[in-house]
Amino acid sequence: MALSKKEISILIEIVFSIVFAFIFLPYFYENQDNNLILMDDLIGKIIEILIFTVIYFSVAYSLLEFVFKKKETKDERDDMINSKSYKLGYLLYEFSLFIFIGYICSKFQNKELLNLTGNQELYNGFNLTDVGIVFLILMLLAFTSIVKSLYQFYLYRTV
Amino acid sequence: MILKNNLKEVRQKKGLTQEELGTNVGVSRQTIISIERYRYKPSLELAMKIAEKLNVKIEKLFFFE
Repeated sequence: MALSKKEISILIEIVFSIVFAFIFLPYFYENQDNNLILMDDLIGKIIEILIFTVIYFSVAYSLLEFVFKKKETKDERDDMINSKSYKLGYLLYEFSLFIFIGYICSKFQNKELLNLTGNQELYNGFNLTDVGIVFLILMLLAFTSIVKSLYQFYLYRTV
Repeated sequence: MILKNNLKEVRQKKGLTQEELGTNVGVSRQTIISIERYRYKPSLELAMKIAEKLNVKIEKLFFFE
């Protein structure tokens, strides 16, 4: 299966999203019970993410340019594929945000109900911190990014 | 009705490769391949550019079947 330069650059994005999800998301997951200002070395982690991103894309795209020396033309087919895939990603993200907002609302409502019943143990179990929200948003972003890129790759192979 | 074309036949008759035709009309080789395989319907602008480059009337190149 011969892949074009554009298809490989999409695969680079997919790999980045997967690596990001496996390396950096666990950090936010483990700190879900904390607040952002109480998290261990948050600034360090953000710097680590930025450095990793810059190095990853620099190396990947330099290798890509080295292997495929010829510059590829961007035309109307690329625009069509990009608009279709970004539309799907946007709709998916919008839909996920609605579910996410509903989840937060129901969580707060349940918490109030538990408070009324006086069950302290269950009441304390219903925590939603700012780190929890950041974790959920990052997870949604990684998920929609992977789906969008996979669809984009599929379109490049079939259209 | 399906929009079809005889781009491949006309292009080969003119002795042009997909790469050459693509470069002449400002699109990639993959786009020419997709048009020839009926996977992608070109815009009117691109269809007219291709017809002009191949020196044929647009209705001879693209037609409904």
